Formats: sequence, C-alpha cells, structure tokens
Amino acid sequence: MWKYIKSRFGDLVRSYFDEFRLVFHDGGIILFFCFLPLAYPIIYSLIYNPEVVRDVKMVVVDHDRTSKSRELVRSLDACQEIRITGYAADLDEAKRAMHGHDCYGILEIPDGFSKRLGRGEQSPAVIYSDMSLLLRYRGFLVAATNVAQEMGAGLLEEKIGHTLPIAATISTGDPLPVENISMGNIENGFDSFIMPGVLVLILHQCIVLASGMAGGARRERTRRGCGEETGSVAMSMAGEMLCYMTILLVPVMFLLHYVPLIFSFPMAGSAFEIFLFILPMVIACMGLGFCFQSIVWEREAVFVLWVVTSVALLFLSGLTWPRYAMSPLWSFIGDMLSATWGVEGFIKMNANGSSLAQVRAEYVNLWLLAAFYLVAGYCLRRWVMRPSLQRAGRSAVG
Amino acid sequence: MKELPEKGFRAIFMRSVLQIVRRPMYWAGFFLLPLFFLFFLTDEMEDGLPQRVPAAIVDKDGSAISRQITQNLGSMQMVDLVEDCNSFTQARHDMQSGKVFGFFLIPEDFQADLLAGRKPVITFYTNMAYFVPASLLFKTFKTTAVYAKAGIAMSVLDAAGAEVDPSTLLMPVNITSRPLGNPGLNYAIYLCNSFVPAVLQLMIFLITCFSLGQEIKYGTSRRLLRMADGSILKALAAKLLPQTVIWLVLVIFMESWLFRWNGYPMHGSWWWLTLSEVMFVLASQGMGVFFFGLLPNLRLSLSISALVGVLSFSLAAFSFPVESMYPALGIFSWVLPTRYNFLIYIDQALNGIPVYYSRVWFVAYIVFMLLPFTMMWNIKRCMKRPAYVP
Repeated sequence: MWKYIKSRFGDLVRSYFDEFRLVFHDGGIILFFCFLPLAYPIIYSLIYNPEVVRDVKMVVVDHDRTSKSRELVRSLDACQEIRITGYAADLDEAKRAMHGHDCYGILEIPDGFSKRLGRGEQSPAVIYSDMSLLLRYRGFLVAATNVAQEMGAGLLEEKIGHTLPIAATISTGDPLPVENISMGNIENGFDSFIMPGVLVLILHQCIVLASGMAGGARRERTRRGCGEETGSVAMSMAGEMLCYMTILLVPVMFLLHYVPLIFSFPMAGSAFEIFLFILPMVIACMGLGFCFQSIVWEREAVFVLWVVTSVALLFLSGLTWPRYAMSPLWSFIGDMLSATWGVEGFIKMNANGSSLAQVRAEYVNLWLLAAFYLVAGYCLRRWVMRPSLQRAGRSAVG
Repeated sequence: MKELPEKGFRAIFMRSVLQIVRRPMYWAGFFLLPLFFLFFLTDEMEDGLPQRVPAAIVDKDGSAISRQITQNLGSMQMVDLVEDCNSFTQARHDMQSGKVFGFFLIPEDFQADLLAGRKPVITFYTNMAYFVPASLLFKTFKTTAVYAKAGIAMSVLDAAGAEVDPSTLLMPVNITSRPLGNPGLNYAIYLCNSFVPAVLQLMIFLITCFSLGQEIKYGTSRRLLRMADGSILKALAAKLLPQTVIWLVLVIFMESWLFRWNGYPMHGSWWWLTLSEVMFVLASQGMGVFFFGLLPNLRLSLSISALVGVLSFSLAAFSFPVESMYPALGIFSWVLPTRYNFLIYIDQALNGIPVYYSRVWFVAYIVFMLLPFTMMWNIKRCMKRPAYVP
C-alpha cells in the first residue's frame, strides 16, 4: 500500500516537472502563457479606453432659420454626443456630405418650426442617422431626447406662467423630477462594459490553447520516438494541472485585479472572493484543454481549431446578447461552457459587487463543469490518446 | 486511371487539393467553423432585439398614482416586471444576482408630496454592466417617467380650467430619429454583417499560413519548388488556388445567406457587393501570404495571424468608431481587409449609395493583393532551406 502511494506520488512529481520542462522549452506555449494574458488585455483595453463616443459629426438643414431653430441647434451642439459641423442648403447637399463620410447624422428642421411652438402646437424635427454603428445612433438618440425634454420643460414653464400666473407661484420648475442612476458601469462606458468579460475569456483561451499545444507537442515528441508516456494517467493529469496553476498564478492576478485597476474599470467585488470564484473555471478550462488535446495532432493545429472560438464564447456568454433572449439550443450550449458562467459571475462580482453567495448558481455550475470536463478528459486520455500515442511511439521506434 | 503529372501547375494544384481532402483539420477550418459562425450568429440574434427585459419595481408609496405608474410600466413592450420589491436593498440584491437588469423606484409619500407640490423624485436604476438590455430598459423607464409627468401636469392644468393639447404637453419639441437602412434597429443586421466576414478573414489568415508553414515544417517545400521549376510565384499560385476557390464559394454563400435568405438590407447593386467579397478573399489571402513572408515560420506566422485576426474584431471598429479611438490605435484599422469589407457593405448594401463614394476602399483591396510580392524573395529563401523552429 505504502509503495503504491509512493509510486503514484512519484508519478505526480515527475509529471509536474516534466510539464515545466515541456512548457519552458516550447516558445509557443510560453507565448500563450505570457504574451496572451499580459499583452492582449492591455491592447484591448487601450482600443476601447476612450469609453464613450463623443462629438459625432452632424450637418443641419434648417428651413426655419429663426431664433428657436438656432437654439435647438445650439443645444444639440452643446451635448457631448454631437458636434454640428455645418449647415447645408438643402437635404441633397446634406446627403452628399453623409455619402462622402463627412457626417453621420442630418438634423432637418422644417419650415414653421418656431411658429408652431408659438402657437402651442407640437413642433417636429427629424434626425436622420447613419446606421453603420449603433453607438453613434444611441448618442444621437440620447442627445435628442435630452434636448427635446429640456426645451419642452422650458416651454411648459413659460406656458404655465402665461396661463396660470398663480399656479406658477405655487409650483415653479419641474413638478416631478426624474433621476437615472447607472449601476455597474457608472460612466456608461464601452470599455468598462466589454472588458471585464473579455478578461475572463482571455484567461479561458490562454489555458485551453496552451494545454492544447502541450498535447500536440507531446504527440509530436512521441511520433519522433522519444519520451513515451508511462505511469498513471490521473497522476500525470494532476501533475500537469498543478504545473499550469503554478505558472498561471501571476497572469490570473494581473488579469483579474491589476488590469481593472490600471484602466479603472468597475471593481466592486472582493478580490479574494473573485479568486475563489475563478478557481473552478481555471480547473474546468484545464479539463476542456485535456479534451481538446485528443483532437490536436500537431502543435500548430490549435491556432486553426481554437482561436476563432473566442468569438462564439463571447456571444454565448450573454455579455452582448442577453442569455434570457437566446433560443433554448444556444442557451444550452452556453450552459455547457465554463466561459459563460465565468464571465457572468465575474461581471456580477466585479461590476455589481455581488458576493460569492449571490453567484452561488454560477459557482456550483462551474464546479460541476470542472468535474465533467476532467472526467471526460481522463477518459479520452486513458482510452483514446494513450493507446494511439503508444502505437505511434512503437512504430516510430520500430 | 491517368497518371498525375510530376511537375507543373496542375501537379501542384492536385497535390494541394489532396492535402486538403486528406486532413480533417482542413475540413474543420474551411467549412465547419466558418459555417457554424454563419449559422450561429444569424440564428442567435434572429429576434433583432432582445424583447422584454426583466426588471423590478419598488413601489414604496402604494397610492393610486404610484399604482397607475406601475401599471403603465408593466404594459410597456420592452419590459417584463418580474419582481415587486419592498425595498431598495431587495431590488439591488435582485440586480446583483442577475434576476433583473434594472429597477424603477417610487419613493414613500409620493402621491402626497406630489399633490402638495413638494416635488418627489422618481429614480430609476439600470445595470450598465449589460449594455444592450440596460439601454433598452433605460429607454422604457424614461418614457414611463415622461408619461407620468405629463399626466400630472395635465391634471393640474385641467383642474385649473386651462385647455391644452396633450401631445404638446408631452413633448412640445419632438425630435424624431430616423435610423437609415435599419429602421427596426435590428442587432443581427448590425452585427452579422461585420462579424461573419471578420471570422472568415481570421480563418483565411490562419489556413494560408498553416498550409504554407506545413511545407517548411515537414521539409516538403523543396519538392514543391522543384515541381514549380523553381518559380516561387508558380508554386504559391498553384498551392493557394484550391483554397481561393473554396473561400470564394464560401463567401458567395455567405453573401446569399445574409442578404438573400435572411433578408438583410441590400439597397445597392449586387455586383459591387459581390466584387467586394471576391476582392476581400483575395486581399485576405494576400495578407496571409505577407504574414508568412514576414515570419516564415509556422508558429510565428500563425501567432501573428491570430493576433491580427482576433484584434480585427475590435480594431476594425465594428462597434466603437475609429474617430473615438486613440489615433495611435485607430490608425491600425486601415491595415485590415475586413475593415474595407465593412465600409463597402455600409455604402453599397446598407445605404445603397453610388459606388463613387467607395472607390478608395476597392483600391485598398488591391494594395493587400500586391503585398505578398514584396516578400516573395524571403519565402523562396526559406523554402529552399526549410528549417523547423518550434
């Protein structure tokens, strides 16, 4: 019995150090473990770091040319979302500007805009928006709503003052103020919205890619006739996992703590609880990596087979397209991926300040998935990979 | 069976076809992954917009007016009032655990304060960590609040005996937004037309570099050069032509799938769009070969392909405009074929404007196609002396 434990422990230690040797002799794996988690998040965060879309160019077609219409233009120009670049004589000229990519919106003020307001009728104006990017349209919409309400409130006050001077003395200004508070991402910024999810995905992809490449490297080594695998499958898997965890300690801290710190993303959660939360995701990723190894026949195949999945993981995680609106099929596929739960839980903890108890569902799911992937990985290695490697090794030697 | 020729263009072409047919990995890279994304992205967002965002109401007043507001809110199309909370804390907990994306708070003594003119404040909270549902919720909450306000102003004026038109009270200045080309604000139209080509570009980069790198890794590049009589141009052209054919079929399928079968807006000429897609494939291949020429090593060229291909999704400014990025990063959007595909799609399909305005983008494609010619010497040098550096 003692001997058995000793030999198993020997397997574990050997595979732990073997894996280190493999990783540090392979530039490709080093790249995945160092460059990917250290450089990617910086580049990504910098791309979106301006956070909000300001000063989208707009051209005005003013058929009214009165002080009220100019007030409207001035107020829109004063919004942070819009910059009025000029007046066009008619809609055709404005269209030409839009087609030539000199503006992304056209404000058309009809003749009689001011007269209508004076008569106490509703006075319309139109913003034509280019729809290439939703963020630009959103900016126009927010600015237009704010300006319309502000001007409306001003006019209403005037009106009440005119018709009911007594009412004005009782109640001046807005009778019912409305406040909006953005939670989670208080600046409504794009970087703070997308990056926390992307950070988790980067960690996920870094582990799976590195693990896949290590599997490919092992196969190539065996095909060349050196380093045939022996010993317990479970122990060698455990050794590899411990090795990855040792290497990943710094990247995980950097990704989940320091990147949000550097770029001042929302950081409402407790760092310790976040690390506790991410642990099962890391284990599940390694399990997924072990499964992935069974189809990686050579090191470089991981690029072709896995890199593109990042996009699918992003959309399945419910970050951009919420999970409650997905069809059962996609929602089920999302359920089966550790990235989904990792992203969901991390955003809740990091942005909304949830405690570990509040993301219980995600946490439990992650542990279940970790167990599932590890068992699947074990089976694949024990009964699919190991035999094929042994065959390959024998034929290489023989 | 006819013997295959030993040398020449046809021989290399056939060899390349066989390489693709014999490796399941190529099937995955050429067909499985791109087609999966085509189907996945269009199907996932089929509804266009996520309807009925889960939200909560916190009514601390429980008066006639506050109940009226709750009812109005509940009847809005975009919102699904799943929770009726008693306190702010409870609503915040629901938001933190992901049950709701926002909540609407009516304070205590709301009705009494309102009628006495003490100006109670209605507050709504949206969880902007989830941008799309929170933005939709914001719009609905805001509309409800404006209606509530108008209703109150109406009743005050009514009581005082003044006659007013409700629409002028609601919004005397009414600025309508007309989203051109995508009136329903369909998220799928906006997203799939940029992301699917970007996926394709990534796969083209990767497979181009992978197939060329394999020749060097396994030392078969010398044979390839011999078969082409030492002409690197001939070798590359014959080697990559089967891939070009596959990509062209795929890209035409993609175009038909998006614009014909899914009915995405197509307001311009099919010819220009098709030309753009064809040139897009060639430009991406050109860039792939260029990467390989730059770093004629399987892993490094794949790494740079993956880096550029994945960063394209952000750098090509599909969601965040270039003019808002830092100039030092925004400038990189101009060196990505998928960026030009996106710009031409906007001009030619979404907006349907004269092709004159997109002329520069088409020229950009040609530049990408010419890129590999600057690197031929290096590819030839490495193919003559293949050395595998892991």
